[in-house]
Amino acid sequence: MAEPDPASTPTPNGASRQWRRNVPGLVGVAFLALLVAACLGSLPWTLTAAASAGGASTVPRYNAGDPSAGRLPPAWWPPDAEQSERLVSLVPAEQLQSIADHYGITADDLLHARNQAATAEAIRSAPKPILGTDVLGRSLLVRCLAGGGISLGIGIAAAGISVIIGTLYGAFAGYVGGKTDAVLMRIVDILYGLPYILLVVLIAVASDALIEEFVSRSGARDAWSSRTVAQISSQISSPTPGPSPRLEGIDLDQPAPADDPFTRALAAELSRETHRTEDQAREQLSRHVDATRGDLLAAAALLARPPREGLASARVFLDVCTLLLAIGGVSWLTMARVIRGQVLSLKGQPFVEAARAAGASPSRIFGRHLLPNLLGPIIVYATLTVPQAILQESFLSFLGIGVKPPLPSWGNLAAEGLSELNSFRSNWWLLLFPCLLLAVSLLALNFVGEGLREAFDPKRARR
Amino acid sequence: MTETAVANATPQPPNTQAPILSVQSLAVSFENGRAPRVQAVDGVRMTIYPKQTLAVVGESGCGKSVTALSMLQLIPRPPGRFDRGRIMFRSDRGPVDLLTLGAREIREIRGNEIAMIFQEPMTSLNPVYTIGNQITEAILLHQRVGAAQAREIAIKAMSDVGIPDPERRLKAYPHQFSGGMRQRVMIAMALACQPRLLLADEPTTALDVTIQAQILELITGLKDSRDMAVMLITHDLGVVAENSDVVCVMYAGRVVEYAKVFDLYDAPLHPYTRGLLASIPKMRTKAQTRQHRLVTIREIVDDETQFRQLPGAENGVRPWWPWHKPPADLTPRDEPAGDYDLLEVAPEHWVGVWRTDAVQHRESREPDIGYRVPARA
Repeated sequence: MAEPDPASTPTPNGASRQWRRNVPGLVGVAFLALLVAACLGSLPWTLTAAASAGGASTVPRYNAGDPSAGRLPPAWWPPDAEQSERLVSLVPAEQLQSIADHYGITADDLLHARNQAATAEAIRSAPKPILGTDVLGRSLLVRCLAGGGISLGIGIAAAGISVIIGTLYGAFAGYVGGKTDAVLMRIVDILYGLPYILLVVLIAVASDALIEEFVSRSGARDAWSSRTVAQISSQISSPTPGPSPRLEGIDLDQPAPADDPFTRALAAELSRETHRTEDQAREQLSRHVDATRGDLLAAAALLARPPREGLASARVFLDVCTLLLAIGGVSWLTMARVIRGQVLSLKGQPFVEAARAAGASPSRIFGRHLLPNLLGPIIVYATLTVPQAILQESFLSFLGIGVKPPLPSWGNLAAEGLSELNSFRSNWWLLLFPCLLLAVSLLALNFVGEGLREAFDPKRARR
Repeated sequence: MTETAVANATPQPPNTQAPILSVQSLAVSFENGRAPRVQAVDGVRMTIYPKQTLAVVGESGCGKSVTALSMLQLIPRPPGRFDRGRIMFRSDRGPVDLLTLGAREIREIRGNEIAMIFQEPMTSLNPVYTIGNQITEAILLHQRVGAAQAREIAIKAMSDVGIPDPERRLKAYPHQFSGGMRQRVMIAMALACQPRLLLADEPTTALDVTIQAQILELITGLKDSRDMAVMLITHDLGVVAENSDVVCVMYAGRVVEYAKVFDLYDAPLHPYTRGLLASIPKMRTKAQTRQHRLVTIREIVDDETQFRQLPGAENGVRPWWPWHKPPADLTPRDEPAGDYDLLEVAPEHWVGVWRTDAVQHRESREPDIGYRVPARA
């Protein structure tokens, strides 16, 4: 028989009817649908590189730009003199020539704005980005789209993580009850007491250091160096006392000519490590002329334990992952409390007792009878967690801890825009658009969340 | 019917079948913060035979439900605790003590060999699943059948309990059902696995009177056709008179009277039972109404002479009553509830008495009546 979809359960309190009357919520849903479709839908386009004329470019669209076209205002905003001049210079040469011919002036005249009508014509035909460009000439529209995709993506994913943790934690605590519940809830209380932003910063910074170490392998190189030196020193003994730094009895400040016993031993170690012949290894080391033993050791270590190549893009991905883990990992507390309360009240319902009397196991009661009944509050708090997570992500990115440039997010776009705001020339569009998008989408998400909460909770006062 | 003839003739010998369940000196207590534990049930004894309905009667908090819940280990522990006693059940795999079964074993009995229906049909069904979904769940839990077969069984169970058009109703949600219909669904769920014992914990309290009668008739009919035993918990003596074979009256966690239904109604021996029966409003003529106020239980149990009318009273056999001072010649056993005994004061008629000298020296069986009321017209 067909499994009924719990989400489409006809609720006796008329949640759907209640919901349809909520105008701000409906507008919010429409706006969000549009925004999510535009931002997330365009990610595959914005994150990939454009095929340029001279072969495949490796610069993704969100990062592609011509610095000479930098700091241009939105297309519909009148450019000032300096911007006009640059706009004219951006017009392709042939088109420029044809405009100049039309007005009976030379292209050079046009470039120096000696004929106003011609200049206006040239500006009209210049390629103008809709929302302007940033310092490096990257289209703000593309960056806002990509940044929106990343912000919304992180927000939704982090909210998802927090919903999963919060639901399982709260439901477990409520269902088991007793001392376990008390201990679990006190842990939540303690975590509530800690400033969450501190936790997020700690998690983000610590994981960043871990990833850095993983990619660069500097620790592995140090370990290799000291191990190698220990081996060499056991082979050759050069007890030359001196004031320079020493390692295992070897003076690393001494020059290392090719016939030096240290150099030879190092080459032998390197050849064993990298599966090359000893001659090849010696040749690689001999490129470093006039080097000290220490320099040679560092070079050999780099050869033996090179940084992991090809991880640059993976690095970006890992950064984003740790960020959403950090946000998701600290924002499940409210969820856990709400769900625990719900479970406590559901647990006393006769249908749970009836299920027990029918021989259902605790896990079955939990999964089949409790969780579906929790769906309402889960949906409501998930929608209210998404804007929180987006705000946290943007806040961290604004501070420079979250998403790192050149990858855009609404937060670091706003930070960039703020730094461009000065008394000499205000490139206001760089600050306004990311902030506007962020603010409006947060507002919409909160409207939707509130609307859902009202629809699901018949006890709340109707307006 | 030959069986009817036999039943009417002598105190009927227990039918050929052995009891399906016997409760032996059950004691259950609950934690009560820093205060001493609350003894919900103490020294309760009863026996149920196949095809028999045992009615357990008593006021709220007298331990009826705790006894029933103990049978399925549905008492939350802690705060609850089984202090003493055994509940022997003749299961498919031989006799077992229900109180000592592990979590897994008791789950195999719950819903399968012993099913339970609750007082609140309005909230005993999960609001987010269809009726069919919930009945088939109960079937799939205990029977090795496929989904299609489980659906067949569910449809059969629903038509058995008198739900019209079961195939269409399978897809309905609980809120689309009335209270009586929901209780029918609960019974269908309980009976889907052919249990051998049905615990009905005040199944009709939340229903109106006409539906009440229908539901009870349904349970009685199913009991006979399925060789099933029923433990009917109620505080409605009208329900008891019409639907039970043996009655167990409880008060303050102990059995105060245990007898065949007609014996109990014709000659109640414990003053509390007399009080219960006397306090049922009766139809009277106008003239009689002037003379008779409604008798209350208190009027009877406060009357000392009521406690001296027990057979054997001349030897000092006194009905047990927690609000009385124990008689002087009390010889309690060295255990809780040791001051109390369930004594067979008349053939197949047990009364809760103080454990005085006289009681100590009387032979007494465990309460055990295999009687069944002859088929009603």
